[in-house]
Amino acid sequence: MKIIIADDSKVMRNIIENAIKPLGLATIHASNGQEVLDCLEKQGNEVGLILLDWNMPVMSGIEVLETIKKNNLYTHIPVLIVSTESEDDKMTRAFKAGAKGYISKPFTPERLLNLIRGRISL
Amino acid sequence: MTEKIAAIDCGQDTVNTLKGMMGEEIQLAIESFEGIQNLQNYRMIIIEGNGNQRDILQRIRKLRYACYFRAVPIILINRQAYTDSVEPYITSGASEVLSFNEPVGAIQQILKGYLIPNRKPLDEEMEYLNSFIKNTSNVLNTTTSLEAVFKEVYFTNDFRIFGDISGIIGLSGEAEGILGITFYWPLAKTIIAKMMGVDEDHINADLIHDGVAEIINMISGSTKKDFVGKPYHFEISLPSVIVGSGHQIGHAENTPIAVMIFEVNYQYFALQVCLKSKINRKGSITGIKK
Repeated sequence: MKIIIADDSKVMRNIIENAIKPLGLATIHASNGQEVLDCLEKQGNEVGLILLDWNMPVMSGIEVLETIKKNNLYTHIPVLIVSTESEDDKMTRAFKAGAKGYISKPFTPERLLNLIRGRISL
Repeated sequence: MTEKIAAIDCGQDTVNTLKGMMGEEIQLAIESFEGIQNLQNYRMIIIEGNGNQRDILQRIRKLRYACYFRAVPIILINRQAYTDSVEPYITSGASEVLSFNEPVGAIQQILKGYLIPNRKPLDEEMEYLNSFIKNTSNVLNTTTSLEAVFKEVYFTNDFRIFGDISGIIGLSGEAEGILGITFYWPLAKTIIAKMMGVDEDHINADLIHDGVAEIINMISGSTKKDFVGKPYHFEISLPSVIVGSGHQIGHAENTPIAVMIFEVNYQYFALQVCLKSKINRKGSITGIKK
């Protein structure tokens, strides 16, 4: 099982990767929303979790979420939003679109791990 | 009240002339450039332009660095009129380039003008600035475990900031403007290495650019949430990064810039906020024609 980490910041992708190391799962990095969709097309059957930033170039995280939840092939893959955008309306939109969880940046590694462990069966 | 001014590498003639011009209002501390480490506590720095241009430019850059983002004017003064362009001195960090060939009254007026202190924020301005201060410290502490201690804030209309790298983000919506964070290279490197949990040797320029953009992104995002339902609520754009000593950041016209200085382990960085609410106190939006 693999985890897609989607964030336009390489530093943030590394921070997330370090935080989730205790899960012992392989990661795939994506720097924009389109790369997430490309990655799902190629190896969607191996993906067990997607961590999505909201603000990304090319295609935003929420657009990716809304797209993949309309595709029967991927609806089972849990998605967590990891974003600087943390207002109620954004969170409501994400949960309505099918997000399993939402964590605002900055976060401690423990908070992210707890969110993943609390919401997802890996 | 006397103002403490550092006269750096100034000859005795220059010191005497300055004392004659400024009288009892100033206390001139005669310093050598080599001994300078921290200039934060001076109200003004005057350096005499002896030597070749390259050396002077280098000295101005070091003096600017030693001001740690405080609004300390650096005056380059020379006994002779300048024959070359003064632009390189200004872009290196000098606030003004003067020559004793100019009329005494004009020099006096210029120097006294630079002694006018920068405006401090009003209580109502601190209401929104406090949110930026809190979130800046929180972002640094959460992502690096480093403590960013807020030191001071002042308003300026000078658009130039003398750091090595800035992350900026445009703010729009009910309030609009720009938020920027500026570091010198060594502190930026330390912070990004801590964020990534790696040794500083593994940090290159690309990672610093990326990390500084992410820092300003997190500060603006968390502050934005604090402003929900308030006149200063804004939307954020994708961040950009500017690199280069003495770079200039454009801000909205007629909106003063609040510069907040933070200390991290005896190194400093600055947060700039230029934010104007479009909502007046009665709750209606200003500046929009029906």
